[in-house]
Amino acid sequence: MTNAGAISRRMAIGALAAGGLGFAAFGPRGGKERSDGRLVLDYWEKWTGHEGAAMQAVVDTFNASQSRLFVRYLVTNSIHQKALVAILGGAPPDVLGMYAFNVPSYSEANAVMPLDELAPRAGLSLEMYASGMRPIMTYGGRWYATTNTAGTLAMYWNKALFRERGIEGPPRTIADLDAAHAALTRTRPDGTLERAGFLHMEPGWWSWIWGYFFGGTLYDPATDTARADSPEFVRAYEWMQSYPRGLGLDRVERFRSGFGPYGTPQSAFLTGEVAMVVQGPWMANLINAFAPELDYGVAPMPVEASLYDEARPVTCIDTDVLMIPRGAKNPEASMEFIAYTQRQENVEKLATAHCKGSPMAAVSEAFLAGHPNRGVRLHTAMASSPRAFVAPSTPVWPEFKDVFDTSMQDLWKLAEPAAERLPKVQATASKLLADAAGLRRRRGEA
Amino acid sequence: MKARETTAGLLWSSPWIVGFSAFLLVPLALSLWYSFTDYPLLKPPVYVGLANYKALLNDARFWLVVKNTAIYAALVIPLCTILALALAAALATPRLRLARFFTAIIFLPTLVPMMATAMIWLWLYNARYGLINNILAAVGLPGPNWLENPAFAMPALVLTALWGVGQMVVVYIAAINEVPAALYEAAMLDGMGPVRRFWNVTVPMISPAILFNVITLTIGSMQAFVMPYVLFRNERGQRAAGDLYNLYLYDNAFVYQKFGHASAMAWMQLLVVLALTGLMMLAGRKLVYYRRGK
Amino acid sequence: MTRSRTTLAYVLLAGAAVCFLFPLIWMFATSIKPEAQAASARLSLLPDPASSAPGVAADNYAAVWNDASILFPLYLRNTLVVAALSVVGMTLSSAIAAYGLSRVRWRGRGAVFVTVLLTLMIPFPVLMVPLYMVFRDLGWIGSLKPLWVPAWFGGAFNIFLLRQFFLGIPAELDEAARLDGCGHWTIFWRVIVPLSKPALAVVALFHFIYVWNDFLAPLVFLTHRDQFTLALGLQMYQSKAGLTPWNLLMAASTMVVLPVLAVFLLTQRAFVRGIAATGLKE
Repeated sequence: MTNAGAISRRMAIGALAAGGLGFAAFGPRGGKERSDGRLVLDYWEKWTGHEGAAMQAVVDTFNASQSRLFVRYLVTNSIHQKALVAILGGAPPDVLGMYAFNVPSYSEANAVMPLDELAPRAGLSLEMYASGMRPIMTYGGRWYATTNTAGTLAMYWNKALFRERGIEGPPRTIADLDAAHAALTRTRPDGTLERAGFLHMEPGWWSWIWGYFFGGTLYDPATDTARADSPEFVRAYEWMQSYPRGLGLDRVERFRSGFGPYGTPQSAFLTGEVAMVVQGPWMANLINAFAPELDYGVAPMPVEASLYDEARPVTCIDTDVLMIPRGAKNPEASMEFIAYTQRQENVEKLATAHCKGSPMAAVSEAFLAGHPNRGVRLHTAMASSPRAFVAPSTPVWPEFKDVFDTSMQDLWKLAEPAAERLPKVQATASKLLADAAGLRRRRGEA
Repeated sequence: MKARETTAGLLWSSPWIVGFSAFLLVPLALSLWYSFTDYPLLKPPVYVGLANYKALLNDARFWLVVKNTAIYAALVIPLCTILALALAAALATPRLRLARFFTAIIFLPTLVPMMATAMIWLWLYNARYGLINNILAAVGLPGPNWLENPAFAMPALVLTALWGVGQMVVVYIAAINEVPAALYEAAMLDGMGPVRRFWNVTVPMISPAILFNVITLTIGSMQAFVMPYVLFRNERGQRAAGDLYNLYLYDNAFVYQKFGHASAMAWMQLLVVLALTGLMMLAGRKLVYYRRGK
Repeated sequence: MTRSRTTLAYVLLAGAAVCFLFPLIWMFATSIKPEAQAASARLSLLPDPASSAPGVAADNYAAVWNDASILFPLYLRNTLVVAALSVVGMTLSSAIAAYGLSRVRWRGRGAVFVTVLLTLMIPFPVLMVPLYMVFRDLGWIGSLKPLWVPAWFGGAFNIFLLRQFFLGIPAELDEAARLDGCGHWTIFWRVIVPLSKPALAVVALFHFIYVWNDFLAPLVFLTHRDQFTLALGLQMYQSKAGLTPWNLLMAASTMVVLPVLAVFLLTQRAFVRGIAATGLKE
C-alpha cells in the first residue's frame, strides 16, 4: 500500500473521529422543554408514530394551560418491560399508559393506586363513562384506571360487493352471515379462491370472542372460573371450523397466504378479497389511507338467531388505559393531568386523531359528525350496550389468551374437532386460574 | 517472587474482578434465588422451592420450545459453519481481486441493528408481496408461505441466521491467512488436490477458530429472540412452530407475571450451554490443534 | 487448476454477495419512496415516477432527522457519547485484565479465566431485572451511566480475545525488559500495547458496533427520552397497531447503519490483520 493511501486513510479516520467527538461534545442536548420550576410529571405511553404525536399535542396543551405542572411525555414500544422494571425498582412514572388487560394484574398486585377517592376530587366519576367501559376500569370493586381511547368491535362489510351480488346487507344473524359468505365467495375457473365472504382469521386478532356471539362467556369473575368448553363455545368454534371445511382447507390457506399485511394497501378487506371483517374503529384509518373509494358499512357482529336484539348488540370492548403507579410522587397532580385528558374535548380530539371511539357516555355531535369513520355512531352506541363484553378480567388472562390463540390456529387448520380441543383449553385455563389462586393464598391474600 | 506475582496478577485482573462482583455476581445470585420463588415482579418474591422447575418440566409448551430451539440450533450450527468456512476459503484464494469488497459485503449485514434486520425480513418473507417469493416466481418456483406454514418456520429462521455469518467469516479468513504457506506447498508436492488440501491442512490448522465460532454460535442460537419475535409474533404469524426458548422466557418474565419461571428457564439454559460447551472443549482436546507461540 | 478454483471462488462470492446485499438494497430502495408506495406491493428500486427519487429521498431523510418526537440528532449524540466512553473503557480495561491473565504467572489465573469464560454464556434477560436494582441502588437510573460504566471493567469476550493475542507474543521480550529493570506497568505500555495495536483495534471496532446497535439495555435503564439512543429511536418507528411508516423506518435504519459502515470500511485493513495477528493460538 502506498504511503499516500495510508495517509489519506488515516486522515479519513481522524476526520471521522474528530467529527464524532465534536458532535458528541457540542451536539444537541435534550431538556429543551423548560419546566420553569414546575412539578414535573413523567408520563409513559406506548404509542409510536402518528398516534404518539396526537397524544403529544394533548400533553402540550396541558402544559401550556397552567403553570404548576409540567408533563414529560415518553414513548416506548416495549412498555411492559419498562413499566415493570421501573415500578419494581421504585422509580415509577407518574402516569402510565397501558392496555386494558394490564389492569387486573397491576391492580391485584397493588402496583397502581385506586382512584375511588382521587378521581372524584378531580371531577371524574364512573358514570361519565359508557357502561361497557366500566368493567375495564375497575377490578375487585375498586376503580383503578381511566380509559383514553376506546374500541368496540364491529362487522365491516363491503357494500359494493353486496350490491353486486344482489344481497341485502348487513347480515344480522349467524345464518345471514353464512348465507352472505356463500353468496359472496367466488372461485376462479381453475378452482382457486378469488374472494371469500368472511374468514375468521382475517384479521384473526381476537381468537377468543366467537363464543360470545352464541351466548357464551369465556370467564365468570364471580367464581373465578373459565368456561372455554361451554356448549355455546363449542357450537361457536364448530361453526368457525365449518368455514375452512366448507371452502377446503388447502384452498383457503393458499388463498390466505396471498393476503397482504395489515397496514398496507394489500390488506384483504381493502382489495376486496374478503367481503366482511371483524375490526375496530381504527379500520377506517386504513381504508381512508389506502382505499378511500371503498364503500364500507359498519354493523354489529351477527349473533345466533335466537339472540338477536337490535337494541342490545354484542360487541367486544378494548381500550387503552391510564393508571397511576404506586409510588408516584404526587398522585393528586397525576390525577389532575389524567382528568385533563378525560375532558370531553380532549378525549374526542385524541379519538379523532387515532380514529378510535370515545369511551365517554356523553359524546358531542361535532365529534360524531367530524370523525373519519362513517360508522362511529354505531361504535359509540355499542359501548353502552348491555351485552358489550370485555376480555376476562383476571391476571392470568395474558397467558390464557396465548393458549387460546394457539388453539385457534390449530382449530382453523382443522387439526382437531372443537368439541375435543376446547375441553383441553378449559383444563389448561382452569389450571392457570387454580395455580394463581393457590399462590395468592400462599401469600396470605384473599 | 511467587507472592509478588500473585499480587500483581490480582491487581491486573482487578478491573474485571471488581466489575464482575459489582455487576454480575449479585444479579447472578439474585436470579438463581428468583428461580426458586414465585415472583410476579409487581409483588415481592415468595419462596416456592422447586415448584417452578417442576411446573416447567411438566409444561407442554416448555418442551415445545425446547424442541424448536434444539432443531433450530441443530440446523444453524452446521449450516452456518459450513457456509462461513466456504466463504472464507473462497475469500482466501490467492490473488483474488476485490477480496476486500466481497468481505465488506458479507460483513455488512452484521452492522445493521437487529430490529431493523427483523423488520426487513418480515417484509421480504411475505408470501405474495415479498421479494423472495417474487424472485422464486421469476425462476418458475412456487414460493412457500414462509411465515404461516409450519413446515417453513424453521427454514425461514435459519435463512436469516445464514445471512449473518459475516462475523464468523472474518474470523475464519484471518485464521486461514495464518496457515504457513509451506504446509500447502508440501501438500501440493504430495499430490493433494484443493479439496484434500482443505481437509488435511486448512481445517486442522484453523481448528481453534472453528471451536471458538462453534461455541459462540451455539450460545447465540440457543438465545435467539429478536428474529423469531418479529417474524412470528405478529397477527399473521404462527405461534407454535415459531416458538423458541427465549420467547417463552420473555413471556414468563414480562407478560405472564412469572419471573420465577423465567429465571428457572434461564438457569436451565445456562446449564445446558455449559454442558455443551464443556463437551465441545473436551472434544477440542482431541480434535483441536493448538500451535505454540512464535 | 488454480484458474478453475479461482473461478469457483468468484462464482460463490458473487452469489453470496447478491444474497447478502439484496435485503439491504431493498431497505435503501424503500427509504427513498413516499409512504404510500413504501408499503405497496410493487417491486421496484425507485419510486414512481423515478425522477422524484432524489426529492422523496431528501424528504424522507429530512423527516427522520427533523422529527419532532423522535429526536434523531439528539439520539445520535447520546449514542456517540455512550459509544466513545464505552469503547475507550472496554479496550483499556480488557487489555489490562487480559495482561493479568496472560503475562503474569500467578496461581489463581486459570480459575479467573474460567470464570471469565463462564460469563460469556449468561443471557441478558436473566440479569436485566436484578441489574436494574443494582443500578438503582447506585443512583444511576436516569443517567447514561448504566450504559458505559460497566464497560470500564472489561468484557469477557474481549478479555478472551486479547488474552489469546498476548499469549502469542514471545516471552523473551518480557524478560529482556525485566532485565532492564522494568515492572509490569512499563512492560505493558512499552512492549505489549505497541505490538497489540491490531488486536486492540478489533476489540474497539466490535464493541463500537455492539454499543451502537444495543437497544435492550437502553430500553430498560434509560428513563427520559432525552437520553434515548439511536437503536431505541429506531424502535419508535415501528407501530404495533397503527400504520408503520416503512419508508421512514428504512430511512432511519439506513442512517443508523452509515456511521458504523464508515468506521468499518476505514478500519477494515487493520481489522482483518488484527484477527490474523490474534490467530487464536494458545
